Amino acid sequence: MIPIICLVFLFLSQAFPQKDSSGYFNINSPSNIKKFADYLFCADDYLRAATEYEKYLSSYYNDTVEFKIGLSYSKISNYSKALKWFNKINNNSVFFADAGNEYFKSLFQLGNYYDFRRYYQENKIKNKDKIRNADKLFYFSYFFTEDELPPEVDFLKPFNSKESNKINEFYKRKINPPYKSTAAAIIMSALIPGSGKIYTGQVGDGIITAIATGLCGYLAYDNFDAEHNFRGWVFSCLAVFFYAGNVYGSAASAQIYNAGIRFDFQNDIKLYLNRQNYFTSKYDFCK
Amino acid sequence: MFSQVDGFQQYQDTTDWQKWGKANFSYQLRGPSAAEQRNYSLREENLGGTILKSFADAYWFFISDVDGDNCSFNPTCSNFFIQAVKRTNILQGTLMFADRFTRDLNLFKLHHYPRVEDGHFYDPVSLYTLNQNNIKIIPPESFVITE
Repeated sequence: MIPIICLVFLFLSQAFPQKDSSGYFNINSPSNIKKFADYLFCADDYLRAATEYEKYLSSYYNDTVEFKIGLSYSKISNYSKALKWFNKINNNSVFFADAGNEYFKSLFQLGNYYDFRRYYQENKIKNKDKIRNADKLFYFSYFFTEDELPPEVDFLKPFNSKESNKINEFYKRKINPPYKSTAAAIIMSALIPGSGKIYTGQVGDGIITAIATGLCGYLAYDNFDAEHNFRGWVFSCLAVFFYAGNVYGSAASAQIYNAGIRFDFQNDIKLYLNRQNYFTSKYDFCK
Repeated sequence: MFSQVDGFQQYQDTTDWQKWGKANFSYQLRGPSAAEQRNYSLREENLGGTILKSFADAYWFFISDVDGDNCSFNPTCSNFFIQAVKRTNILQGTLMFADRFTRDLNLFKLHHYPRVEDGHFYDPVSLYTLNQNNIKIIPPESFVITE
């Protein structure tokens, strides 16, 4: 009896499948793809949401979907793709102003600071209530380039009193970074092997260099003194090898130290920007 | 916001230890060993390159491959020398190698370099060419995946 019931059920399920308003249920219909993409977007699964939205756009044009694709790529830090999608939104769309702002922020996050400043200076920011953040980001962009900083008074203008202290500290760090002089490192290492490395913070390397150079120099002297000339020359060559490497390495070490200072500085700024939520957008797509 | 560095991707999760216990982590070799990956070919080398590469090939064949994988750096010191000479010139390459060799003698370098997958210290030639534009900082003790 049970197999017969199962067979009847199977037959009925095939004869009367679920239907949607447009007729038979089609999981790949554009409207279902969009629903699924909306679900993924609200579940913060942005990469897959963007893929589904793009699939939907192959059937229909929808500026909201275009904007959400841009936002999805922005959320997963794929700013070059985000820029492409924000740029697609035409000026008849209600999202035109927001897309402009997101484009502006994506330029900054992509590290394209020159285009970012040009965009700002050409007054393309449409959403006026977000202009304060735009001002702040404009000045922040100077921290990431080697361009001359604007005067301190102008620089601090967009920031409130709470932010000013921190920004002022960044400003001073940018103007007077605690760099180590490459020339000083070279001279120190030339005079006392290893001291240039110690000056640039590589204490272990400096001590090892001093020991290697000093030991080989002493062994060369001692062997020449004992009239073991061949060994004397071998150790002389080794001493010169270590000495020359030490002078060169000190210069390289100073450069790496300075690059590290720049890296730390920019990292601190990025952390500060993330903490301040300058990039957070508030849209009510997921109620 | 932290971007990839020159084809090397920073990642955090290569550890055999997780909070509350041991993670599933394979210790099997993922590819051919350093010795098996050696390129002994002298093709596409000029005269200077051929002489230099011949010495390196001889060193690899008679000493390094027999002695085992003992250099704590990636690229290894011999590879570093070849890359340095190719990228700069014989004089500067030799100076870069002398500096690298001294740094290799330092036993207390544990926390100064980023690591590659197999645990070697990542120390590329680009940091030492004295061209600031080539210097890409990767924080010490972070991990990089070689291409």
